[in-house]
Amino acid sequence: MVQQDIASYIYQISGQNPFLCMQCGTCTASCTGREAMDFPPRTVMRMLQMGNLAVLDLKSIWVCSTCLICTARCPRGIDIARLMEALRVINLRRGREVLVAEKIPPELLLKVPQMALTSGFRKLSA
Amino acid sequence: MKIPYFPGCTLHSRAKGLDSSTRASLAALGVELNELPQWTCCGTVFPLALDNYMGMVAAARILANSSREGGGKLATVCSFCYHVLKRVNHAIKHNEEVRQKLNTYLEENYTGEVQVLHPLEICRQEVGLEVIKEKAANSLKGLKVACYYGCMLVRPAAEMQFDDPENPSIMEEIFSALGAEVVDYPHKTACCGSYQILHDSGLVKQKAQEILGSAASKGAEVMVTSCPLCQFNLDALRESYPELPRIPVVYFTQLLGIALSLPEESLGLQEHYVDARPLLLGRRG
Repeated sequence: MVQQDIASYIYQISGQNPFLCMQCGTCTASCTGREAMDFPPRTVMRMLQMGNLAVLDLKSIWVCSTCLICTARCPRGIDIARLMEALRVINLRRGREVLVAEKIPPELLLKVPQMALTSGFRKLSA
Repeated sequence: MKIPYFPGCTLHSRAKGLDSSTRASLAALGVELNELPQWTCCGTVFPLALDNYMGMVAAARILANSSREGGGKLATVCSFCYHVLKRVNHAIKHNEEVRQKLNTYLEENYTGEVQVLHPLEICRQEVGLEVIKEKAANSLKGLKVACYYGCMLVRPAAEMQFDDPENPSIMEEIFSALGAEVVDYPHKTACCGSYQILHDSGLVKQKAQEILGSAASKGAEVMVTSCPLCQFNLDALRESYPELPRIPVVYFTQLLGIALSLPEESLGLQEHYVDARPLLLGRRG
């Protein structure tokens, strides 16, 4: 994947155009996971515009809880949650994952609702 | 009135109280929920990658099966199930490629005709607030309730068509009608951190502090939700973090059941970590 292709590759997976972003930061201000991220959603959007492939290695994409508040509030109508999903999907389809069943503490595993396991593995495991 | 019902996997295991209190409170309001004869997990999350049709198959199968039950409706209460079924239904209805691919794979001919209903919508639209008021003993008078919607019920508004995505009010309308004093607090559509409980529980703890703290600062005595994951994240985490505000977090159907004077065993309140029973059980008329 060459540098200038990341935006079009992302578009192919998500149907979303990161160049529409005007860098207002509404997504960052609203984001559930922003304090746990290395770079907030606004910066992720800027990295995509600049073709910065380091965007694929950010912690941010795995901290996203797909709560869709960025999508709901984006004044440019970008479905930012779909862009974040595309960044995860590129990693997951290469076998790069962050949630490994064996590493979940057993005491938590026995208590969490089943839906946490299904959703967590669907979003964060290859 | 009978409506086909999809409980979802969590309601048959870790959130049995949500299942039993939903069935019992709607039955008391004259709505019989008929569990689908055969169902699987809905998939839990709506796939956001355009080429991920596989992530929609389970929900499409449930919807197609429910269309054979008659009545043209399907009730489901878990916020995640409701979100996935409603969005997959929307995609089948409005996206020809999705419709064709899913039908070909499943050997079905489903076109999105079933109306997916949340019990909150059933309460407001099918039953009506006046009937709920009539059937309740008005025993919630003076109780300060924080209604918590979280993320999956309301967003994205264009597809969910549930309520105002920034300021939903359907739960407030129901509990106000029952005499409760609903508190206005800014975090009712904030996300609890969701499945990050498995990956970054520190994030969930921070969200729980913000959401519970915000409701507590407005004087809330109890918080209501329709999501087993929100309930877990906001409630059970207090076992590990006792410094978090101790407001009981219950399902809205459990509080509705209290107002309807339903028997304790149908409510499942014993499942929660912070016990709501001392606050609520005495209120049953």
